[in-house]
Amino acid sequence: MQVVWAICGGALNVALVLALAPLLHGVMRRITARIQSRQGPPLLQPYFDLLKLLGKEDIESGETPGMQRLAAWLSLAAVLAVACLLPMGFGAPLNLAGDVILLIYLLTLCGVSTLLAGMAAGSTYSMIGVSREMMTMITLEPLLAVALVVGALHAGSLRLDAVLNGSVYTGGSVPWSGLIMVTVMLLSLQAFVQRVPFDVAGAETELMEGPLMEYSGPKLALFQLASMARLVIYCAVFAGLFLPWGSQVPFPLGWLLFWVKVFGLVLLVTLVAATHARYRIDQALRYFAGLLGVSALALVLASFGY
Amino acid sequence: MIARERLNQMKEKFGSAILRADLPSDRQLFVWLQPEAVKELCQHIFRDLDARYVISIGADDRPFSGGFIVAHDFAFDTDHVLCSVLTQLPADEPKIESISGVVPAANWAEREMRDLVGIESVGHPYPKRLVLPDGWPEDVHPLRKDVPWNHVPPEFKEGASFEFEKTPEGCTVVPFGPFHPTLDEPAHFRLYVEGEMVRGCEYRGFMAHRGIEKLAESVMSYNDIPVLAERICGICGCVHSVAYTEAVEAAAALRPPPRAEYIRTILLEMERLHSHLLWVGLACHIVGFDTLFMQAFRIREPVMWMAEKITGNRKTYGLCVVGGVRWDITPELKAELNQVLNKLQAEWEPLVGAVSRDKNIQKRTRGVGVADRNVVKNAGAVGPVARAAGVDIDCRRDHPYAAYDRVDFRVITATGCDVWSRVVVRMKEVFESIAIIRQCLEKMEPGPLQLEIKDELPVGRIGLSSVEAPRGESHHFIITGENNRPRRWRVRAPTYQNLQAVPAMIRDQQIADMTISLGSIDPCFSCTDRMETIELRSGERKTWSQKELLALSQGKK
Repeated sequence: MQVVWAICGGALNVALVLALAPLLHGVMRRITARIQSRQGPPLLQPYFDLLKLLGKEDIESGETPGMQRLAAWLSLAAVLAVACLLPMGFGAPLNLAGDVILLIYLLTLCGVSTLLAGMAAGSTYSMIGVSREMMTMITLEPLLAVALVVGALHAGSLRLDAVLNGSVYTGGSVPWSGLIMVTVMLLSLQAFVQRVPFDVAGAETELMEGPLMEYSGPKLALFQLASMARLVIYCAVFAGLFLPWGSQVPFPLGWLLFWVKVFGLVLLVTLVAATHARYRIDQALRYFAGLLGVSALALVLASFGY
Repeated sequence: MIARERLNQMKEKFGSAILRADLPSDRQLFVWLQPEAVKELCQHIFRDLDARYVISIGADDRPFSGGFIVAHDFAFDTDHVLCSVLTQLPADEPKIESISGVVPAANWAEREMRDLVGIESVGHPYPKRLVLPDGWPEDVHPLRKDVPWNHVPPEFKEGASFEFEKTPEGCTVVPFGPFHPTLDEPAHFRLYVEGEMVRGCEYRGFMAHRGIEKLAESVMSYNDIPVLAERICGICGCVHSVAYTEAVEAAAALRPPPRAEYIRTILLEMERLHSHLLWVGLACHIVGFDTLFMQAFRIREPVMWMAEKITGNRKTYGLCVVGGVRWDITPELKAELNQVLNKLQAEWEPLVGAVSRDKNIQKRTRGVGVADRNVVKNAGAVGPVARAAGVDIDCRRDHPYAAYDRVDFRVITATGCDVWSRVVVRMKEVFESIAIIRQCLEKMEPGPLQLEIKDELPVGRIGLSSVEAPRGESHHFIITGENNRPRRWRVRAPTYQNLQAVPAMIRDQQIADMTISLGSIDPCFSCTDRMETIELRSGERKTWSQKELLALSQGKK
């Protein structure tokens, strides 16, 4: 029974992420357009864009086309694997198959696929994009790891359903480490989902999409879908870690509430992206380094039970 | 008579070398010199008298005087004088001592003179080909009078490619261009990069040649040329059209009626308005702030509609003829223009506030793309680049044309020398432009739009004009000629000088700052790439021939 449940739940999560990610992206574009005094595209435009790209000729280009293809698949596969692991409105489907550590690995794999994509192209611009992505990952990934570890420390477990249920707030009467980490993650959410002001790796006006510059057609569609899904996934992780309220409500309501939270976070990302200029890589790194220092403090606090 | 005073200063030192001097008005000074003394006089003018270098012109005057003419133009901005140092060279040996050693800003102009007219600058510090395509033979100079405008030399090698200098040690090459999302026109900067730091660059531009000067000198007539001139640039068309007509009028001692001068001023300022709004938007886009980019374009749109109502085109086209203008501003248009200005001012103020308060934009632009006074002087940089470095120059005030001597406005300067200062200068200039248009609308009296010109224009006269384009000074030099067309017409757009300051701006900066630094001079490559007989393109890697490309683009029609 549990196996059937895990498979059904996982499939539902994957299907929902695949189906809703473009819609959320469409909402994002529409809201951005409104902020910019434009009308904006129809809500369903991202679906049409993806379909159009999928129907195009699959061109092999760059230095190592095989790796290019692999990177495109890998980026989407990693995101969808995470979708199977996360509690999205109901208990984590593959709760027994993996823990928080696996989650960190899989999320890092998303970034690694971008690196592979850039290296497969082998052009100067994509290599600059790769080096920027790498620097960003090195300073950024520890933040998420710390947040998850803080949760795990408080929960006393590495199990997904235990950690991704607001466990960061369970230490002491004033959950200092949890409050610090929620601030840190809010301040860096934009970077995790690769939106302005931290879209330095692919900055269109500087690097011409950086690592993705050799991509076109179906492979580009995979990458774009992965990037849209990535937004949903990170919002889901954020909601699970820091916005646990209402997760105990029975199935249809709690499940709806979860997606409302995700939608709210997407809205936040959109608003920030539309009202900021892009940071330069060194400015971004300094910013992340500051956050890293603060999160180290949170880790110390958490290990003493605060 | 400040121009005479300057002339006397020159005579004191170079009395014996000066052959003759013309002072057609108190604002223009022409000094004819023996070729041997040119370099020293230029040094004296540039360094001791602290004039600003404008441009050097080479002209093939063999059919008329039997030799070549070389002119170096300078501007005494505080004295309101434009000065041209001229000399004649023998037909069989067109060589002159280079002034680039003492006037670095002349670097490009002298190389171009060699390419197009075949006047050799002896002792040039970097005598590399500048304008001509790479496969063009050495001894064919398109702007010589004996070369027909549509001549393609049989020795022309289409597939030849440009040879870049050796890459400095420890640097990798990042090709910026010929096509890049932030360049709307082809130009190639070869960046030498160490990690994320730019250590140097080499520029290869002049990729889209349209042969505008040659066409004007060999095919068109005086009143056709304004229409050609305004197609030099996609933004400051009106500037070139006015600059050309003002140059012809200066040469022929004509003065258009006052109403025409006011209308020229109004349309020039409208052009500045839409250009500044566009540029501030683009600067925001380059640093990734698309919301302000979109808002700037929304605010700009009514200006374009107004231009369409006045001239029949969103761009301010077809305005000038020699001795006047074509379009009138009717009372209805005046009322509507006033409304557009009110709305523009009301909407621009919050946007300026938003940009000024935004810490992100300032982080990306402060201390970036620095061009200080020294760089400005040595590159001959003009416009917002100069004013942002505290160099208080503006042709509208310093060399007034059209009706600028009858309106009040401030010249905005800043002292930061960086991209942010350029943003501030251009944002504030919008308010001055609005004020100027309002004053013109107020002061304009009814009257004729064009001068009645009955006689032919005099032949062999020289005219200079400087018009302040949104990006800086556009300078036109003209020698009037036979057949109702000029003998020589030289256009120097602001980007021509400002681009020469770019290598200094981007050196030892992050590669991410490259686009905004280059964007901050508002480069207009079509203005710069303006002279060649035929369109030719030689890519670095040859896949398509020009013929195939043409067939491809024309076959789809």
